[in-house]
Amino acid sequence: MTRQDKVIIQKLPTGVPGLDEILGGGLPQFSFNIIAGAPGCGKTTLAHQFVFANATPERPALYFTVLGEPALKMLRYQQQYTFFNVSKLNSSVRFIDLSEILIHRGFAGILDEIAKDVEAASPSIVVVDSFRTVVRGAHDNEMEIQVFVQRLGLLLTALEATTFLIGEYAESELRDNPVFTVADGLFWLYQIVERNSIVRKLQIMKLRGQTSVPGMHTFRITDAGVQAFSRTLGLTGRPRKMPGQKRLSIGIPQLDEMLGGGIPEGDSLLIAGSSGTGKSLLAAQFIAAGIRQGEPGIVAVFEERPDEYAGRASSFGLDLDTPLHDGSLQVIYLRPLDLSVDETMQEILDAIRKTGARRLVIDSLAGFEMALAPGFRTDFREFLYWMIFALTGIGITILSTLEMEETFTEFPVSSYSISFLTDDIIRLRYVEIEGQLRKIPTIIKMRGGAHSKDIREYEITSKGVIIGERLTDYDHLITGIPRRSDRSEPKE
Amino acid sequence: MNQTNSPEAQDIARRLVAYEAGAGSAPGANTPAAFRVSEKLRRPLSTLAGATGFRALLARALMLAKREDHSLSAVCVKPDGSLEGLKEPNDDDAEEPGVALIAQLLRLLVAFIGEALTTRLVQDIWSDLSFNLTNPGEANRHDPTR
Repeated sequence: MTRQDKVIIQKLPTGVPGLDEILGGGLPQFSFNIIAGAPGCGKTTLAHQFVFANATPERPALYFTVLGEPALKMLRYQQQYTFFNVSKLNSSVRFIDLSEILIHRGFAGILDEIAKDVEAASPSIVVVDSFRTVVRGAHDNEMEIQVFVQRLGLLLTALEATTFLIGEYAESELRDNPVFTVADGLFWLYQIVERNSIVRKLQIMKLRGQTSVPGMHTFRITDAGVQAFSRTLGLTGRPRKMPGQKRLSIGIPQLDEMLGGGIPEGDSLLIAGSSGTGKSLLAAQFIAAGIRQGEPGIVAVFEERPDEYAGRASSFGLDLDTPLHDGSLQVIYLRPLDLSVDETMQEILDAIRKTGARRLVIDSLAGFEMALAPGFRTDFREFLYWMIFALTGIGITILSTLEMEETFTEFPVSSYSISFLTDDIIRLRYVEIEGQLRKIPTIIKMRGGAHSKDIREYEITSKGVIIGERLTDYDHLITGIPRRSDRSEPKE
Repeated sequence: MNQTNSPEAQDIARRLVAYEAGAGSAPGANTPAAFRVSEKLRRPLSTLAGATGFRALLARALMLAKREDHSLSAVCVKPDGSLEGLKEPNDDDAEEPGVALIAQLLRLLVAFIGEALTTRLVQDIWSDLSFNLTNPGEANRHDPTR
């Protein structure tokens, strides 16, 4: 069959930010879908968003309630969401309670009533909520259930409607319940309690006719309703940007020189060091250097607010206030403790799209990890890998900072064992020299080519980080406790 | 929660009952006007809340309205959600009997689904009248019940 012969399945917008992307472009028109999950996980809200996004006076949506929450109560709570449009009620969105029909006329009565209402209204969307109660009501007759569901599905599909059955199911029912065989689409919603945090996830277990993004996707319910965060955030399938020859200045000429001319564009650079070594300052200088050269930037901070961040930078002579106000810099302060990795990534991506950023600072990885809901911390490395791969793939240059314990007997590169995730690593550390605690930067790795092997001293001044001379008079600098080298001993 | 009728609900109830009382030649004109208002609300509300839900709402409204209007003492809600037992109006009545009942029903609806949705429901039924539960003075001053 040629491409021209195939039926074209139209895709409807779901009205749920992020979900169209997960579904592979939208909801297949005339599909018969089940939204399943435990009570309180957002099934009804999700269905309402579909309804309000698609219903028109010409092709309204019919919302049938069976034995679950009556429509009157549903209206009370659903109107709290911003997507709920009162003016659509009755003209575009019609609620119909079928509880009496089920009690008095059973399955057949429900089918008749839905058929009659659907025929009269010619709806584009039909929702039956909550379906489980119907099925459970006659669970002793599996065949009757199967026949009923199949008839309902065929009926609704034949009437050119995209349909939803909302139900409270356990995952153990997936194999045995015929309703899942009949459905074209199966949306499963989860609400997982992780210590004191609640994490909501959804999975498209089945979607006939088009390719959805597999796996578990985080979602959040806010005043605007459900917002979903695709695991891949739409970054898969995009051609990776071929690495160019361009080098980005870190804002310190001597350090650029040590890096072999700057940071290769599209690289991920890790700056690791203990407290007070100037990691955040280097990151701010990197962003400021980009702004000066017309490259918008984003800073994701977890431990201080945007104005505090800009204020601290100004004490080192860096003007971040101006770009913050003209929009060429965005400082994202991510609220701590209950973040999901997907929504964090979405926030960063939105900022990149908004500012056209070429540079991204994550200050710091430890703060980032702490800000995540506990359930996501175990996947932090996997998430970092995915995030860095995805963002550098579209040409963003990332500078991350990492707090490390200072040790005077070892020279660890990264306590998170994430060094393999980054292209370039700068290690900052303290050394004791002549009764002073001084600092050295070391370029550990530059995937893009040669870099300086020098160990030079640096200082933090009111003008930022100043790189000094190579410390040629000492050995064992990287241990933190150097010895004056024989070469430097005065000759007798 | 305040269970007395708001002036806005009272005003709209009065207008609805007056409107139905004025529709003398309409079908069912021999039943009390307040019953006709309730009857017109029954269908859309049963669609939203189920027949049992509507009956429960109306029974609650009636119980509260009886505290305000003793002429409703003999009124009861039948199993199908219709009303019976309202006395005939006489010249001494300050207003049409049953206004308090309709006002309570509207007040309950506002409490459950808010003013905007309640106004919309009522407006859909009496489309030639104009309502504003928040500020009845804003409603169309040319409607026949004013």
